Amino acid sequence: MPLAGSLDIRPLVDGAPEVVLSDRELKVDDVDILQVLYEVRVADREALVPPALNPTIPPVISFLVYRAKESVFGPFALAQLRLTARSGVRPRAYLISARCDNPELAGVLAGSWGFRVTPGDISLRRFHDRVDCSVHADGRTILQVSLVDPVPVTGHDVQYPPGMHLARVTRDGVLKPRIVQVDSEYVFRRADRGRPELTRFDPADWGDGRLVPDIPVSASFAACDMTIANVRYICNPDVPAAEGTEKVSDE
Amino acid sequence: MEFGLFMELSVPRPWTADSERQVYENALEQVRLADELGFDYVWAVEHHFLEEYSHCSGPDVFLAACAAQTSRIRVGHGVIPCVPQYQSPIRVAERAAVLDIISGGRLELGTGRSATWPELSGFNADPDETKKTWDEFVRVIPKMWMQERFSWDGRMFSMPERAILPKPLQKPHPPMWVAVTSPGTEVDAADRGLGCLGLSPGGFADSEKKVLNYRNRIEVCDPVGAFVNDKVLTVNFLSCNEDGDLGRRNGLKVASMFSYMAAQLLSAKEVLPTHSYPSEGLLPALRRESGSPGDAARSFKGVTMGTPDDVADAITAWENVGFDGINFIHQFMEVIPQQYVLDSMRLFAEEVMPRFKTGTGTGTGTAADRRPVAAGVA
Repeated sequence: MPLAGSLDIRPLVDGAPEVVLSDRELKVDDVDILQVLYEVRVADREALVPPALNPTIPPVISFLVYRAKESVFGPFALAQLRLTARSGVRPRAYLISARCDNPELAGVLAGSWGFRVTPGDISLRRFHDRVDCSVHADGRTILQVSLVDPVPVTGHDVQYPPGMHLARVTRDGVLKPRIVQVDSEYVFRRADRGRPELTRFDPADWGDGRLVPDIPVSASFAACDMTIANVRYICNPDVPAAEGTEKVSDE
Repeated sequence: MEFGLFMELSVPRPWTADSERQVYENALEQVRLADELGFDYVWAVEHHFLEEYSHCSGPDVFLAACAAQTSRIRVGHGVIPCVPQYQSPIRVAERAAVLDIISGGRLELGTGRSATWPELSGFNADPDETKKTWDEFVRVIPKMWMQERFSWDGRMFSMPERAILPKPLQKPHPPMWVAVTSPGTEVDAADRGLGCLGLSPGGFADSEKKVLNYRNRIEVCDPVGAFVNDKVLTVNFLSCNEDGDLGRRNGLKVASMFSYMAAQLLSAKEVLPTHSYPSEGLLPALRRESGSPGDAARSFKGVTMGTPDDVADAITAWENVGFDGINFIHQFMEVIPQQYVLDSMRLFAEEVMPRFKTGTGTGTGTAADRRPVAAGVA
């Protein structure tokens, strides 16, 4: 039968952002996006995601980094660690944690979309032969990841599955754990792909020490206009998505 | 219209020492019955590492068992990955020829290139290369079969002059096909004179466009083999029962499970930005990229489920689109009892198949009627 998640979310709920559902969306033009993927080797892949989700075969982590020179909250960079997953038959990415260098935006991302985000200094630099990203937090470097030897592809070739963020949402007057589906739209201006290179990463720094990278998969770098849409669906994390999904907006 | 069984040989957890044997035994029982009932084909996939979804990594061995236990049904590779890290084209030509001999000239050779990340990365294959290597495979295999001695100096592989043995029983060689999932592969099939082995159920309009495009192009093709195989087959889910609700319920169990299991596999396209895989392979037709995470697998128009009349209506619709036949996924992950599967096949053969084999539909005969002649075989 399809593998189903078995992650015990109780230890994670207290630190989960409290989301106020609204029709808020966030448009940002000219965003640079680096995505680097690695397979992870774990014995119990079901235990990586909550019961609302299904693990993929094999599990793959992605480092997804946004950098924008302008936004309504000013310039920002956001680095996410995500894990490929499925909700039923749909491709999704379960957010482990994120770092952001813009405190105001970080608050909005947490409060509107459930980003589990803490402060960090993020550098994302594009060269002709490589793209380098590093994340610094708590006085040390917690991520160094690169794309090497970029070659052009089309935006159509690059995929960023919708995020699934563990949060707390008020339902029937009570704050309850919910997975918030975060849909984003991308209009690509340029895209490259290349070889992934990971030189510094401890998964414990990002919230799940089991996610040890094993086999490099791919790296891409794109420039695009991005819209994070308002939340349309939330899920009860404790039951399969087919049973526990609630539509909260028609838009 | 022609009809076939499409075998994934999926094995649900929990796995016991007997799980795989039981799945294979059930499949062989279905094939023996299909042979008695007049089904035209049994196709076996070749997949590697796809836990539960398919434990069919040695399809030639399975198809040899099918051939040994049957007398007339044609045995098809659906499909062999034409990726050199999986296997050399020499080995494909050799093993296929053995199977053609063992089966008495009943082999159909489906070709493809894999679409999942676990398989491609498991063999350390380069997804960017698979379209190119497939092309070289399909050009050399018929030559290996037909030439007494063969040599090659190509992009993918080279070999000195050698006799590749044995030669297939069917002359000039067995029919060749290509799996069509990615957009545009029907054009590749047509241009090379290969049969179109559809593996993704699509909508009527989209399918009609593809079939028409294929028909137009194959008229002027330059075949890779000694003859043109101009057939177009599609795939569907079969569940036929006098109780239409039960038929649909069981059919949807198979379709839903198929969709869920396929969805858990990482497609090459999903994790690697590449032009080489414009779609995600077998299942994207049943998967939507955005929308509710709670939605079940989406059904599609023209599913061959329900009463015999329901099934016949759906087949007529696909026949009108232009397909020459349908291969059925009739069981998956053993979600419906073996006895139901066998009864469904029997009812289909009694009530539906004759409408498409005797002129009630517009079908024009069986696969065996239109195959190359096997030397020494009537």
